[in-house]
Amino acid sequence: MRIVARLKNLEEMNKLINLGVDVFLVDTPLAVKRISLDIHNDISEIKKHGKVYLLMNKMIHETDLSVLGKWLKIAKEQNIDGIVCGDLTVMVKAEEIGVLDKIIYQPGTMNTNSFDNEYFSRKHLKGITISKEITLEEILKIAKDKKTELSLLGHGFIDMFYSKRKLITNYFKFKKEDKTDILNNYNYRLTEEKRPDSLYPIFEDDGGTHIFRDKALESFEEVKELRPYLDDFFIERIFLSDDEYYDSILSYKDEEKAKEFIAKYEDKYDKGFYYLYTEKIKGEER
Amino acid sequence: MKTELLAPAGNLEKAKIALLYGADAVYIGGKQFSLRARASNFGLDTIKDIVDYAHGMNKKVYVTMNIVFHDDDIFGLDDYLLYLKKINVDAIICSSMVVIERAKELTDLEIHLSTQFSLSNSALANYFYKEGVKRVVLARELSMEEIKEVQENSLTDLEVFIHGGMCVSYSGRCTLSNYTVLRDANRGGCAHTCRWLYDLYENGKLLSENHDFQMSSKDLEATAYIKELLDAKISSLKIEGRMKSIHYIATVVSAYRMLIDDYYNGCMRDLTFYQNEIQKAENRQTSYGFFAGDTTIEQQLYNQRSEIPTKEFVGMVMGYDDENKYLILEQRNYFSPGDTLEIFTPDKTTIQFKVKEIYDEEFNSIDAARHPLQKIYLKCLVKAPKYSMIRKVENE
Repeated sequence: MRIVARLKNLEEMNKLINLGVDVFLVDTPLAVKRISLDIHNDISEIKKHGKVYLLMNKMIHETDLSVLGKWLKIAKEQNIDGIVCGDLTVMVKAEEIGVLDKIIYQPGTMNTNSFDNEYFSRKHLKGITISKEITLEEILKIAKDKKTELSLLGHGFIDMFYSKRKLITNYFKFKKEDKTDILNNYNYRLTEEKRPDSLYPIFEDDGGTHIFRDKALESFEEVKELRPYLDDFFIERIFLSDDEYYDSILSYKDEEKAKEFIAKYEDKYDKGFYYLYTEKIKGEER
Repeated sequence: MKTELLAPAGNLEKAKIALLYGADAVYIGGKQFSLRARASNFGLDTIKDIVDYAHGMNKKVYVTMNIVFHDDDIFGLDDYLLYLKKINVDAIICSSMVVIERAKELTDLEIHLSTQFSLSNSALANYFYKEGVKRVVLARELSMEEIKEVQENSLTDLEVFIHGGMCVSYSGRCTLSNYTVLRDANRGGCAHTCRWLYDLYENGKLLSENHDFQMSSKDLEATAYIKELLDAKISSLKIEGRMKSIHYIATVVSAYRMLIDDYYNGCMRDLTFYQNEIQKAENRQTSYGFFAGDTTIEQQLYNQRSEIPTKEFVGMVMGYDDENKYLILEQRNYFSPGDTLEIFTPDKTTIQFKVKEIYDEEFNSIDAARHPLQKIYLKCLVKAPKYSMIRKVENE
């Protein structure tokens, strides 16, 4: 199981490698929820230090197709190890350009059953990332019968909403406030009227607005069970300090460090949906 | 090929009303595999009933199977698909690969890709065409210009939403409901968490007032874009709202039917005519979504009531007593002698009349129609057809 970590700058590459990172995930202009706006300019340098996945996770509109083609060609020229996408269009264009075997399809909500894995194995892409809204039991069922590479986004603040609308910008327009510094600002939080103690990170970028869970996800125990079946384990970085991110990575390599991590950050993390069943319809009995 | 007008139907009555009032096709969800399973009254027999009814009018029925499937959900899928084929459903609307693949393997059902997939470009539309998908329902986030570009470059038929509620998120990419109330938004459990009231903070400082950070979207109303959509030869124009009332469905379907027919007949009226018709039943604030490009505050609801008053729907015509000239109504809302009512027929005729006397089923004169679903008789010289809607115009 490879540890995939998001790279913020060139200076930290050795640090991440020493922590046990196997793959650098690098933002591109086709990424949303970016942690770096310019690191894509240094791909050839990063490639010298280790495996590189490119992040292209925005929803692809007609006007994005030419930029997508350009970036897939860059991925091919640079012999990139993987391309992480949220929109299946990236897979379609990757086949045209000859990098289909680099595609990791990570749509967030859609890869929820064993059949998806089988379907995409027939398409000959590199792999798929299992949805983060299903239980550990469901993940294991898919994983034990996997047909293609499988990955999991198993740590950090996980998004639960992706809108094309610029909701923060529009809010300040509604309030007639001349607010600057809205895009790519990591400091906004939401509370809901009846949940005043839950702070949901909200983030606006060129792709729209993203809302995240109030608690970050950790999978230290679950990874022990999943490790034989997972090819990539993604550690999300957005809204984490550098130190907390480094602590996170190390904790998946060292069980003692994991215990220390939980003790240090306990209140901030939970287990997501590993042990929670969602209702299919309102009022359904389980 | 004329562009299709596609309407929602939450039950058999709504489906019939939608077809009678001008829809070319209806989409329904069964009790399984549909995001609106909660709203569905369509058991297997009822699906057959509406298919037979629609085909008798030379119209179509599509069945939604658009949940995001978990392994446990797949049980029964094959039998369901085979049944839909057996009763000659015209298409299924789905978003999971497992449905597409099983439908292809077992049947020759026409396959439409649901807007749950948020398909936004022609490259992906063409991929699905090669995968056996006949039509894709475009994401609601596309501008008119984008829709035209996708249409020019796509092999699939395109379906575009023109009216009704809108997810504020890309459809299929929201799990707010999952996280906040453990109801799976992509398996029919959406709690509309995006419509709740929020506060916004920056670096711990409260920026909003009285929970006025709201994400709610106004409903879509695309009358101003119908001409361009028809010029572009989009295959299907879709109305949202399987939970809406029969009055809403009749009114909205009828307005768009007139607009589309007027376009083809070269006699389009001022748009305010169609918009005023829609307003008789549309009880939510509307805007034009993404048709003009990225949304602004015009498309959002902030501290505003989304409900607005409409013409009151007071009853539906169930028959006519030719001999004694009585309309036979099924009551839906209160009215009394002296009220002016408007009859709104499936063929778009409207007739106003004043209520003189109201009689119950035993022909006792009553002072008001106050009981929902009560059968009542009204003296009326106009023979309105069955399923005509009766609205209150003014209350004297």
